[in-house]
Amino acid sequence: MTGGKIKLRDWSAAVVLGVLLVLLAVFAPAFYQPQPLLSLLAREAPALVVACGAALVIICRQIDISVGSQFAVCSVAAGLLAAQGLPLLLVVPLSIAVGTLLGAINGVLVAGLRLPSIVVTLATMVTWREGLRWLRQGQFVDLPDGTQWLGLSQTAGQWTLIVAALLGLLGLVWATQHLALGRFIYAVGSDAEAARLSGIRPQMITFLVFVLMGALAGLAAVMNLVQSPQVDPKAGTGLELKAIAAAVVGGVEITGGRGRLWGVLAGLLLLACIGPALTHLHLEAYWEKAIQGGIILLAVVADGWRHRK
Amino acid sequence: MHGFAMKKFLLPLMLAGLGFLAGCGKSSGPNGDSLPAGVKKISIALMPKSKGNAYFISCKAGADRAVQELGVELLFDGPTDPDPARQNEIVENWITMGVDVIAVACENREGISTALRRARNKGIKVVTYDADARPDARDFFVNQATPEGIGFTLMDEAARLCGGEGEFAIITASLTAANMIEWQKYIEARRAEKYPHMRMIALRPCDDLKDKAQSEATALLSANPDLKCIMAICSPAVPGAAEAVKQAGKAGKVQVLGLGLPSENRRYVHEGVTASVILWNTENLGYLTIYAAHALARGTLKPGDASLQAGTLGTLPIVGDNILLGKPVVFTRDNIDQFDF
Repeated sequence: MTGGKIKLRDWSAAVVLGVLLVLLAVFAPAFYQPQPLLSLLAREAPALVVACGAALVIICRQIDISVGSQFAVCSVAAGLLAAQGLPLLLVVPLSIAVGTLLGAINGVLVAGLRLPSIVVTLATMVTWREGLRWLRQGQFVDLPDGTQWLGLSQTAGQWTLIVAALLGLLGLVWATQHLALGRFIYAVGSDAEAARLSGIRPQMITFLVFVLMGALAGLAAVMNLVQSPQVDPKAGTGLELKAIAAAVVGGVEITGGRGRLWGVLAGLLLLACIGPALTHLHLEAYWEKAIQGGIILLAVVADGWRHRK
Repeated sequence: MHGFAMKKFLLPLMLAGLGFLAGCGKSSGPNGDSLPAGVKKISIALMPKSKGNAYFISCKAGADRAVQELGVELLFDGPTDPDPARQNEIVENWITMGVDVIAVACENREGISTALRRARNKGIKVVTYDADARPDARDFFVNQATPEGIGFTLMDEAARLCGGEGEFAIITASLTAANMIEWQKYIEARRAEKYPHMRMIALRPCDDLKDKAQSEATALLSANPDLKCIMAICSPAVPGAAEAVKQAGKAGKVQVLGLGLPSENRRYVHEGVTASVILWNTENLGYLTIYAAHALARGTLKPGDASLQAGTLGTLPIVGDNILLGKPVVFTRDNIDQFDF
C-alpha cells in the first residue's frame, strides 16, 4: 500500500515533466529545435551536479545553502587560474580542491562543533559572496581563447558536459546503493541515534557529505566556466535554491533519510523547463517563479500528506 | 551656530527665487571675469568610489583636462577599494585642510551625507557626481544619465539596427527594479512616438546574472524566429545575450544592444555579435564635475540656475539641483577600443 505511494512520489516529477514536454510538443514544437535544446541541457549540466550534492546533504538530514557562493568562489578561482595560462587539466582538480576546502569548513562547523547547518551555511554563504564582491568588485574574469568548450567544437563541448553530468549522476546513484558510505548517509538521515548504535559515526558521515557537496560545487563551477568566454563573479547566485528545489521536487524528503537521486534529474529538468516553456508559449515572465514555487509547494505538501497517512 | 547655517541656506534660496522670476536662462561663462592677482587658486578635492577602478580613472582623465583649462588646483584621493568609512575620513581631512570645493562619487548615500553636511557648514561647496548623497548634503549633483536619455538612446539605437521595423525583446534585471521600469517607460514612449513598426514581443528578467540572461536569450531566440533584436538593459545581460546569439549561430542576423561596460562587451563587439553598447562618457563626467565645482566656487553657479557653461561640452541644462551630462554615448566597433573600463 505505502510502497505503491512511495513509487508514485519517486516518479511524480518525471510524470509532470513528461506532461509538460507533451504540451510543448503540441503547442510550441519550436521548443524541440536541436541547438537551443542542447544549449538548455548543457546550461543545466552543472546545476545537476550541484543538485545531486544538495540531495545527499538533505538525505543526511542537513542543509547547505552556501553552495551558490562555493560555486562562485570556485568559478572565479578557476577562471583566474585559467587566465594565468594553466591548462584545464589542472584547473579542474584545483577547482574541486577549492570546493572541497570550502565544504570541509562547513563540515567542521556542522559536524565538529555540532552547530545547526542552516545557520553555518547561511554564514558561509554570505561570507564567501561578500568576500568575492570585495575582491572582484563585480569585474568579470576574461578567459583565454580555447577554454570555451574545452577546446572542442560547441556541439561536442555541450555533449561532453551533458554526458559528464549524467555519468556523475550515475556514479552517485551507484555509490548510494552499493557503497557503505552511501547507505550510511541514508541511515544517519533517518535516525542518527540508531545509526550510531549500529556502529556508524554520524558526525563523520555528516562531515564527509559537506566535503562531497563542496567538491561537486567545484566540479560544477568548471563545467559552467567552459561554456562562456568570461566568468561572472556573481555566478551561482540563487543556485542553492535551484538545487534544493530540484531535490525536493524530485522526491527527496526535506526531513532526511529518503529520496532517490534519479528523481533529482527529473526535478531539475522540470524546474528548468518552466522558464523556456513560458517564453515559447508567449506567456508573461511574471508566472515563472510563481509556477516554480507552486511546484515546490506541491512536492512538500505531498510529502507531508504521506507522512500523515 | 544654527541660525548662521539657516541664513547661509536661506540667502541662496531667495536668490534662486529671484533667478526664476528673472527668467532663468542666464548663463555665465567660466572665464568671464579674470582672477585678480594675489588671490589663491581655487582648490577642488575630487573623490572616486575607489581609486583603482578603470571607470574612475577615466573620470579622472576628464577632470585633469578641465583642471588645465581652468587653472585650478586638484586634489585627488579616494579609498583603494569602495569603502564608505574611508570616504568619510578623506572628507574630514579635506575639511581640516580647508579646500574650496569637495566633489564626491558616493559609495554610501547615508554614510557620507553627515560628513558632507559638516563640510557645507564650514563654508565648503559640495558637489556629488556618479552617485548622489542626500540632497541637503550637497549643492549640486552632476547627473550622468537621466531615464529619458537612457530610454530614448536605447530605442533609437535598436530602431537604427533593425531598420525601423521588426520584433525586439527586452532582457531586464528584475520585473520590479524601479530604475529599469522607468527606462522601459521611456523606451515604450519613444517606440510609440517614432517607431510604430517596431514591436516589443517579450520582456524577460535575468536576476542581474549573465548566465541566466544567456538562458533567457536562448529561449527567446528559439521561440521567436522573427526576432530582430535583443535589448539588454542591465549590464550582465549584454554579454549573456551575446553569448546566446553566438551559440545559436545568429550573429549579425539578430542584433544585440544594451546598457553596459565596454570592457565586458569588447569581445562580442569585435566578433560582430553585439552591435552597440550604451553608456555615458565617463571622461566628460569628470570634466563636467570640475567645471561645476569651479563655477560653484566662483559663485557663477547658484541654486536655481538653469544651465551651466562647461568648456568644450558647451552649455548643459540644470534641472532642479541636477546638472545633466546629456545623452549617453554609443560604443560600437569603431570607438569601443578608446575606452578601457
